[in-house]
Amino acid sequence: MTTVNALVLTGFGLNCDMETAAAFELAGARAHRVHINALVGGKVNLDDFQILAFGGGFSWGDDHGAGVIQALKLKNHLGEQLLKFVDDKKLIIGICNGFQTLVNLGLLPGFDGDYTDRSVALTWNDCGNFRDHWVHLGINGKSPCVFTRGLDPVIDLPVRHGEGKFVADGAVVERLEANNQVVMRYALGDGSCAGGKFPENPNGSVGDIAGICDPTGRVFGLMPHPEAFNHFTNHPDWCCNLERAQRQGSFSIKQEGTTSGIQIFKNAVACVS
Amino acid sequence: MVDKMRSCIEIALSPQLMDAEAQGLIKKARDYFDIGIEAGRCIHLVTMEADLSPDDLALVKDEIFTNPVIQVSSLSPLDVDFDWCIWVGFRPGVRDNAGSTAMEAISDLLKREFLPDEGIYTSKRYCLTGKNLSKNDVEKIADELLANAIIQQWKVFSRSEWDASKGVGAIIPKVLLNHEPKCDVMDIDSNEALQAISDARNLALNSRDIPVIRDYFLDPDVVASRKKAGLSQPTDVELEYISQARSDHCNHNTFQGLFRYTDGATNETVEEVNLFKTYIKEPTLALKDEKNWVVSVLWDNAGVGKFDDTNNYVITGETHNSPSNMEAYGGAITGIVGVYRDPMGTGLGSRLIMGSYGFCVGDMNYDGPLKAPLHPRRLLDGVIEGVKDGGNKSGVPTTFGQTLFNQGYMGKSLVFVTALGIMPSMVDGKPSHEKTTVPGELIVMSGGRVGKDGIHGVTASSEVLSENTPAGHVQIGDPYTQKKMHDFLLAARDEGLYGFITDNGGGGLSSSVGESAMLSNGCEVWLDKVPLKYDGLDMWEIWISESQERMTIAVKPENIDRFMALSKEHEVESTVIGEYTDSGKLHIKYNDHTCAYVDMDLLDKGFPQWEFDALWMPPALRGLTEPVLSPPKDVNALILSMMARPNICSKEWIARQYDHEVQGGSVIKPLVGMKHNIPSDASVIRPVLTSMKGLAFSQALLPWYSKIDAYHMMTATIDEAVRRLIAVGGTLSHMGGVDNFCWPDIQFHPVKNPDGKFKAAQLVRACRALKDACMAYGIPLLSGKDSMYVDGYLTGEFGEAIKVSALETVQFSATGVVDDVTKCMTLAPKVSGDLVYVLGTTANEMGASEYYELLDQTGLNVPQVNFDQFKVVYRALEKAITNGLTASAHAVARGGLATHGALVALGGGMGFELDLTRVPVDEKNGMPGMDALLFSESAGRFIVTVAPENQSTFEKMFKGMACAMVGRVTDEHSCFVIKGTDGKVLSDLSLDALEAAWAAPFGDMI
Repeated sequence: MTTVNALVLTGFGLNCDMETAAAFELAGARAHRVHINALVGGKVNLDDFQILAFGGGFSWGDDHGAGVIQALKLKNHLGEQLLKFVDDKKLIIGICNGFQTLVNLGLLPGFDGDYTDRSVALTWNDCGNFRDHWVHLGINGKSPCVFTRGLDPVIDLPVRHGEGKFVADGAVVERLEANNQVVMRYALGDGSCAGGKFPENPNGSVGDIAGICDPTGRVFGLMPHPEAFNHFTNHPDWCCNLERAQRQGSFSIKQEGTTSGIQIFKNAVACVS
Repeated sequence: MVDKMRSCIEIALSPQLMDAEAQGLIKKARDYFDIGIEAGRCIHLVTMEADLSPDDLALVKDEIFTNPVIQVSSLSPLDVDFDWCIWVGFRPGVRDNAGSTAMEAISDLLKREFLPDEGIYTSKRYCLTGKNLSKNDVEKIADELLANAIIQQWKVFSRSEWDASKGVGAIIPKVLLNHEPKCDVMDIDSNEALQAISDARNLALNSRDIPVIRDYFLDPDVVASRKKAGLSQPTDVELEYISQARSDHCNHNTFQGLFRYTDGATNETVEEVNLFKTYIKEPTLALKDEKNWVVSVLWDNAGVGKFDDTNNYVITGETHNSPSNMEAYGGAITGIVGVYRDPMGTGLGSRLIMGSYGFCVGDMNYDGPLKAPLHPRRLLDGVIEGVKDGGNKSGVPTTFGQTLFNQGYMGKSLVFVTALGIMPSMVDGKPSHEKTTVPGELIVMSGGRVGKDGIHGVTASSEVLSENTPAGHVQIGDPYTQKKMHDFLLAARDEGLYGFITDNGGGGLSSSVGESAMLSNGCEVWLDKVPLKYDGLDMWEIWISESQERMTIAVKPENIDRFMALSKEHEVESTVIGEYTDSGKLHIKYNDHTCAYVDMDLLDKGFPQWEFDALWMPPALRGLTEPVLSPPKDVNALILSMMARPNICSKEWIARQYDHEVQGGSVIKPLVGMKHNIPSDASVIRPVLTSMKGLAFSQALLPWYSKIDAYHMMTATIDEAVRRLIAVGGTLSHMGGVDNFCWPDIQFHPVKNPDGKFKAAQLVRACRALKDACMAYGIPLLSGKDSMYVDGYLTGEFGEAIKVSALETVQFSATGVVDDVTKCMTLAPKVSGDLVYVLGTTANEMGASEYYELLDQTGLNVPQVNFDQFKVVYRALEKAITNGLTASAHAVARGGLATHGALVALGGGMGFELDLTRVPVDEKNGMPGMDALLFSESAGRFIVTVAPENQSTFEKMFKGMACAMVGRVTDEHSCFVIKGTDGKVLSDLSLDALEAAWAAPFGDMI
């Protein structure tokens, strides 16, 4: 098995780089935190990596729309390299601010192999505020997304954003759904769609959409933070789950191993190994 | 000068999309002022003063500022319908973060640098429709919801006044000083002359310092040495430097002062020679010797404790009261971004890992005649948002916080912010908590630029707020610039590129360079090198400006090229502004002309200690008594009323706005329980993701008890913080504290401060309590700050000004290392059938309780802490938690057993029973009645649930201690049931009813 090198972008107000790198390491990759200017300046070469992660944060303060200036900077300086990265069948994940950046770059949704067209957007939450909240996510098992292969039908992850409302025109949404490019949706506890209900759908996303991929399944963007569920003690119910499990004596949650957050990274690593 | 081209891009959401910002405004206008707006849209304006071609403008508009999927934009005013339009923009010189990132983006896109006289300014206009909206309504919305006159300007347009081709007009809030920088010499012929200068320049020099300052400058040796440097009388730079360094904020003159403390009951007087030394420094040093995990205390920007074999954690707490009181958003964001620089500037610099907040404001629904600078409601909205942007955009989890309401905070609200960081214990082969400056090293300033903002911030917070307080010191923090600097400096640290770092906080360069140069014993500073936001600053302004997001670093000449290259890669501005020397002199130059030349040890030259008279009258002698009360009859209704009290009820909407999960180490969150909505006792994070060790953090605020005795306020506050930490799995063997004092003016004045002696006595008593509690529990004070003068003058109904002082307040934070986070605990019961225990005794201690406050009473019997007795219980509980014997633990706090029993029940989402006959009692103030059992706030108590199979082991562990099984958790019903001392059901409330009452006050806030 070859070593998988994952590049996690840093700088300019990005902030989830430490835990995103840690998540890749837990998943078996070698994670490299690289400043955007080190890529722009050519000090680091994108060709040396199999996975590129656009992580969470507030790039350029998100002052002119979340992820807008980051997308612009990357397009201006690394546009061709990014397209080649996709052509080379390598993997890209965009989490939260990274998802916002991917849609502004046009790397998502990537209809018809066009990775430059902006046709979906992530805008202000309907509730009007930033919100930190664990949500249930229904996983689309039919999606080509390589990151979510074999995940449980419902997983829990935290959302932490002010601009996560997925918006696109009706035809675009229909096409995303038809292609199974909708990878995950905000859900109720039983896995059924949140149906726009707040706070289960925390931002008013059309169709409860929380994450989408490109038609190949190798470019994936999502608002929730899988890297923030890197250990079972991250889950808001872990104390209760552990206590109940120990009472039953049947198993210990500590041995449960990989969280669904880390599984997403493992899937990615497995795919390019 | 040829005028630059002005252009303006207007951007709005596409009409078919909901405009959440406008909806928020509509809701607030309705909730706060009962003004009905039917519809609204918000338009963002980017106004540019720069020579850009039409093609460039179109490119900038489309590529940067318009998202084609959701936005519409135009280079002329957008045609959006309205009855009224409100435009809001910044005043000149106010930090415009979005304007600055816009400039960065345009530079990158067009590959063009902006000239010094070019600029970009952001603003907004709100298009409102409503048949019944009057001009008055709209002006009220502009003035009281959207803009704060201190930092913003606004204009209102009616439909008929609107010129659709001109729009709001290109308004350019550019600073134009047209001023030739200068350095003045000051007249010190007499004490009166210097006093007059102090008054005129707002130096706030203490009158007793004035002769000392004059003696120094008139000393023949000093005169001779200054003559060589080309100076005679002191310059304004020098006097401003002395003023900053001698301010109460920087020098802590109050805590270092002499107190003559008289006990009014016995008429005995004792002299307290130095509160800081006696009650903070000495116990901390004693405990440092005892506790091998204490790494560094009492000298640096923050305290340092050992996290594990290779990492140390760093903690400090601050307040940012005065600025927040004037401009809530700006004050609070500057506060949190500012306190985050303390860990960054501790030792060789740490990475930030968490923050917390404490907000104390007046009554949210106040509708009386007193006019505060900002209504408490607006103030709270602003500080919440400020800490949100400051914390979230810094990428630091805000894992804990408290908000409380009391009328005293109408005079001055309090904003506490606490910061924790982590650093490798060794950097470049040397202990990271040690640092010094060496002659020959370069003085580097990194981060933001210097402007007129923040000038005299320190001296202003050292005075009681009056109508003359300059508002110019209110700033807007810039977390984006600081985050870039944070990342850069950590990279530079890890490469071993510098030997000293400190932040520019209060006093700016004057403090950071002045203090760091003490280590090398001298410096030469070149003020003309300091990068400025705009031309025209005088030398003294450059020297003392508190413009934010700056650090001062000592870099060896051989490392400077690499340091600068790294800085450039991170797009952080760094500038060499001088050199450390061993000349014994603080030598400041501007374009090679000396403008300050004073001895480094000038500040040690016999400045007199401040003096205070303190007069203590015990509460009974002040006429406080217990109220005459019979037990309540409708206990159900009473409990529901208690749950809805502003200081008890749910404030989930605040915690949810703060990212408490970033960095991926969240273990115990600020909100816990089955529905994730009950405030946790404390938070726990795992700052090193490859380790199972955690860092627990709690804080407590109990200012109400100061109404009776600040001694007991302090002990109860510390006790609560301790219990909160233990409840989640913390331990007394590793617990560090941070004390943040906020005190009203204590200097007696027969007219201006007639109760100053009493407030001084309360301070002495609180300090004594601090030492007693820290020594008894073994808590070294890792850090602490004091903020005096929490008083304000409010205008009343008839134009009179009334002084309103805040309660004597201390926020106490506790932190400690948890060895194994999987042993951590929440307050929520987990399994039906579990037994409910109460640990600790309940006494008749309802003085200043929430219950008495509900009944508009104060009382006399304030909760008291029995350290020796409590400690035994705490140790036993620590052991029970570590051994996995408990399923939940919760510290009983404000509101007593009834409200905290209810919170525990809500956390579990199951039936919960509590039998009052079994609750352990203490009869020191007489047998506690039913009301005391329910609502007394006696310290030292926990509610714990235990699996039936652990009953005997658990009870053995607490043998001989106050510990009793008082009921059980059940899934047979979903009610909180309290049985009275007569064996009958006293209260039976469904969890739904309890939650509804508890969530009601702020339930619709998001």
